[in-house]
Amino acid sequence: MSVSNMLENWSKFRHMHPVDDAPYTEYKWAMSIDLDACSGCNACSVACYAENNLAVVGKEKYNAGQEMHWMRIERYWDEDGREFPDQGAQFIPMMCQHCEAAPCETVCPVGATNHTADGLNSQVYNRCIGSRYCSANCPFKVRYFNWYDYPTTNNVWPDEMTQQLNPDVTVRGKGVMEKCTFCVQRLERAKNNARTEGRLVHDGEVQTACQQACPTSAISFGNLVEPESKVAKQWAHQQVELAAKDAQAKDEQEGGSDLRGYRIFEELRAYPSVMYLERVRESAI
Amino acid sequence: MHRFLSLFILLVGLFANAASHAADAPPSITTADDLGPVVEQPIEFPHNRHAGNRDPADAADPSVPAKGGMEINCMYCHTYARRSMVSGIPPLRKCIGCHQNLPSVRDTPRIQKLFEYWDAKKAIPWKKVHDLPDFVRFNHERHIQRFIFTQGKPVQEACGYCHGDIKTMTVARRQKALSMGWCVSCHEKDHPVDAAATKTTTHGPNDCWQCHK
Amino acid sequence: MIENSFDRRDFLKVLGWGGAAVTLSGCGFTSVQDGVETVVSYVEPPEYAIPGISVYFNSTCAQCDAGCNITGRLREGRVLKLEGNTSSTINYGKMCGLGQAGVQAHYNPDRVREPMLRGGEVLAWDKALGMINDKLSGVKGDEIAFLTGSVSGHVKVLLQNYLEALGTKNHYAYEAVAPSVVRAANKKAYGVEMPRLRLDKAKVVVSFGADFLGAWVSPVNFSQQYGKFRKAGDTGRGVLVQIESKMTLTGANADRWIAIRPGTEGILALGIIHALGAAGLSLPADVAAVSKAYDAARVTKDTGVSAEQIEKLAALLKERSPSLVIAGSAAEGYVHGSQNAAAINLLNSVLGNIGKTIEAPTNVPFPQVAVTTGNRSSVQALNDSMANGKVKVLFSYGANPVFTTPTALKFKENLSKVGFKVVFAHYLDETTQEADLVLPLDSALEDWGTSVPEYQGESAQLSIQQPLMEKLHANTRGVGDILLALLKQRRANEYKDYEDFYSYLRNAVVKNKSALGSAGEDDDTFWTGALSKGLVYFNGSKGSLSAKSSAAGIVLPAPAEEDAAYPLHLIPAVTANLRDGRHANLPWLQESPDPMTTIVWDSWVELHPKTAAKLGIVEGDIIEVTSRSGSIKAQAYLFPGIHPDAVSMPLGNGHVAMGRWAKDVGVNAFGILDQVVDKETGELAFNETRVKISKTGKRVIVVKDEGFIGGSQAGNKIAVRASTDEVELSGEV
Repeated sequence: MSVSNMLENWSKFRHMHPVDDAPYTEYKWAMSIDLDACSGCNACSVACYAENNLAVVGKEKYNAGQEMHWMRIERYWDEDGREFPDQGAQFIPMMCQHCEAAPCETVCPVGATNHTADGLNSQVYNRCIGSRYCSANCPFKVRYFNWYDYPTTNNVWPDEMTQQLNPDVTVRGKGVMEKCTFCVQRLERAKNNARTEGRLVHDGEVQTACQQACPTSAISFGNLVEPESKVAKQWAHQQVELAAKDAQAKDEQEGGSDLRGYRIFEELRAYPSVMYLERVRESAI
Repeated sequence: MHRFLSLFILLVGLFANAASHAADAPPSITTADDLGPVVEQPIEFPHNRHAGNRDPADAADPSVPAKGGMEINCMYCHTYARRSMVSGIPPLRKCIGCHQNLPSVRDTPRIQKLFEYWDAKKAIPWKKVHDLPDFVRFNHERHIQRFIFTQGKPVQEACGYCHGDIKTMTVARRQKALSMGWCVSCHEKDHPVDAAATKTTTHGPNDCWQCHK
Repeated sequence: MIENSFDRRDFLKVLGWGGAAVTLSGCGFTSVQDGVETVVSYVEPPEYAIPGISVYFNSTCAQCDAGCNITGRLREGRVLKLEGNTSSTINYGKMCGLGQAGVQAHYNPDRVREPMLRGGEVLAWDKALGMINDKLSGVKGDEIAFLTGSVSGHVKVLLQNYLEALGTKNHYAYEAVAPSVVRAANKKAYGVEMPRLRLDKAKVVVSFGADFLGAWVSPVNFSQQYGKFRKAGDTGRGVLVQIESKMTLTGANADRWIAIRPGTEGILALGIIHALGAAGLSLPADVAAVSKAYDAARVTKDTGVSAEQIEKLAALLKERSPSLVIAGSAAEGYVHGSQNAAAINLLNSVLGNIGKTIEAPTNVPFPQVAVTTGNRSSVQALNDSMANGKVKVLFSYGANPVFTTPTALKFKENLSKVGFKVVFAHYLDETTQEADLVLPLDSALEDWGTSVPEYQGESAQLSIQQPLMEKLHANTRGVGDILLALLKQRRANEYKDYEDFYSYLRNAVVKNKSALGSAGEDDDTFWTGALSKGLVYFNGSKGSLSAKSSAAGIVLPAPAEEDAAYPLHLIPAVTANLRDGRHANLPWLQESPDPMTTIVWDSWVELHPKTAAKLGIVEGDIIEVTSRSGSIKAQAYLFPGIHPDAVSMPLGNGHVAMGRWAKDVGVNAFGILDQVVDKETGELAFNETRVKISKTGKRVIVVKDEGFIGGSQAGNKIAVRASTDEVELSGEV
């Protein structure tokens, strides 16, 4: 959007949230991740590096917290003081949750991150001035800043390595923020093909890179507006609502819910577009 | 023997440096009349001869050199435009495909040059005339599908929205600003969706990720 | 019309690197510009190449021996990304991180590009091949040896033919981290080395240290099955129990992870059999006789696993059938590794799983292309021959024994006794550096080939590897092409019809199209179809298993005595990304955190917090790990998922060569392993090494992905866990 357009219609753009008077009509991209199937193997993360031209920063910069993994696997241990983690570890893939009321969007001084009509939280590199407010305000800490100009940094993409870069994705320069886009380049391509054929994108027609790679098929991705899509069915079955007011209704019930679906930091009312399904452990062993 | 291919889609993806806008003074987006600079090409390709209107005086006999244009459809040469992000510079074989059967112009300097490239099996190093910044992804396919195939606009009119009246030029010269404001000025407008103009869409998409990703 | 014929290989050709220089000079402009950059179009376009639109070609992943079928995504003649081939029954369209990093192996700037002599002098191919011919003259057949990794398909056929032409039988197939003891035990118990394991059919999986989700045999296949196994479906959600001394990725996903005293896996297996008998399962007489001695009290004392746990496990196995018990790498790495594996396999027969969750693979009708699996004893045999001066000429392809053998073996020293050493190499690794002649190989994305994976999908298949793009470097060659050229030196007449390996391969596959299920098709249709699919299935008969598991001969030693001088067991960890270290130079893998510790770009020593406390060690302390065979220093990482009697170090890092991303990263744990072998198979027992640990006084910050509070969620509901009695899984989408 142009600056004038943005300023004139600010309230309208801030309106792109799941509010009753402006529901999504064609697409609302969303994800669900089954933590019981996720094995924590990191294939999704490597797929993301391959698809989205993520820079490999090396040990020193990694140590300084300058890694660029849009998708990371977090690993947690039990905190019940047992000698061994005898129910295994807790893995969780973490990336931009594409919040409907995204805390990052409201603090960007230049409108470089805002909501698209498909319910994505966009990051526009050419508009970003590198204030990093968005990252500071992100509860999930999934925004990554280019502290260096990686295209010209030694041994990031030397020689032939540049030929691997995905031409559909901008290689980011120094001083801009970046993050998971739900593989927007794939979404746009699928939408484009669908429009040419005069239809909407079918369920399963577009996959994110992480979903496509996931060896245990733990990740589902699709359109929440389409009630027959796998993601919409999963969200519906788990009774997780995109715009739940303060908490999910099912969690308000007495005794809690026996469904596995949840969103992280529901209480912050950021309305993430990613639903996780709780990891399960057998009680008989 | 090497066969070359269009690189510019790759160029778009490589080394986009999105950060430098903060440093420089705002560059003048275009010349006063939105006309781009004259670009010198390896061969002065006459768009007017290929796409221009037929001169009524011209005979139908192809062996007699024509005075007017040949009204060739833009997409005959820029064949990828309806299927891909890029419209494509025609492969050399396409030029030769016609010109080897056109002995009437075979000995003109431009065609001789063309055949020199062909004999050497070398690609012609055309200069890019409409070169958007690396962080912009303009999609030809979408616009062609939308305006030509869905709405039924004449090809030269639809292409002309951005490229101007190419059929009157020799080598192409940029006619429009191609700045973001210029793009948005059109995206803001309501356009009819189909040929009958029974329905209108609100406007073109206006979220940033449509073009910047 | 214009005379023009172009084939698929032409399509792969891309503009040379020179063209991209334009890019570098033209980058960074922020407004529209005219007449600066050049557009280079095709001279003659392939019909199906549209600039801006991806093209996909099927091939086979060469990153590990699982042989997943892959689909390469190409744009403008460049391969950008590897994805899984959705029609594969090995990986079902999925890919692991290691596999995806295959593109970085291809574009790696540290690849060998020219044939080279020792010291780096470049020479032409005809000179190099001539040199081999010269050096072979006057050398007796049995003085020539060929070292490879696991090898199958038509490269193996040519290799065997070349060995035959040289008059030698000395083919040593070496894989440092292959499950070679388990293979032998499986052969005894089931009649096949690698049966199909049906996790998706099992209600309970008990794995004795098989990291099947991470690095064991065919991880993507197992992961796909695991995904189904975890779904409630009709049979209920599967339960995974992992028994091992150091938590692997698979262990981290278990419903119950049981820390066992290193080396006592077999004892626990017999203890479970005993408990099953006590719970009323009828045991064959010989099994009952052997397991009689393994009552709960003794097993608990020996293994450290509580009697209650054993009883619960036996009850679960008895109640939920079919189950699947897997003997893995952790169980096999001991002097009595074969016995451990036999005892574990016995459990399957007692539980009646054979034929239910353990299935016979399809027979491969052509033994000449079937896989020759690598093992560790072969490199020991080669080493002995070299030490005795029996090897005059050594060829090496796909193995890096200088890096992956224990220093105690003195492989490098013995290698220097070989008069002439030829290495077919992608990179200048430690073994290649010792070569007298280095022959540069095409990358796996540039080369032709076929392979027959050891672990099969639904049916036996011939996987086809084809070039996804034009060669990056003019002077590299395919391994098949090199072997063919060498064969032509010996048997010119026999191979004169084959211009290159491609023509040989095409001929060999097409000739047998009837055995590949396409008898009626014409050659071109068949071949094009095979290339398009990336695999063809053999018309093989389903094999059968012989349930020969018997308790006879299972003799398990008492748990190892305390060793006062070297009190801790060293468990070298095979990680999913780095395996035996051959891909340590791929930056995506180095920067991809180890799933368990989240450490990047380094090696480490895992210690149980209790052990660390006893030794006064905190995270980041540089500690010296000393075995009887050597010592190395690395950062300490406190890790709850390890038996207090053991420490663990990852394999794969610690290269002293192999390019900018591998060299001087971490330390090589292979080096300090004791040269102790499994008694039955002679395989290196890599969990038998005992070590002591001392502090060096230095401390570093461990570079890892987890935050400074480690694996704690600090009271937040981030990764949530529920137990099966708290959730309703039925009806889930």
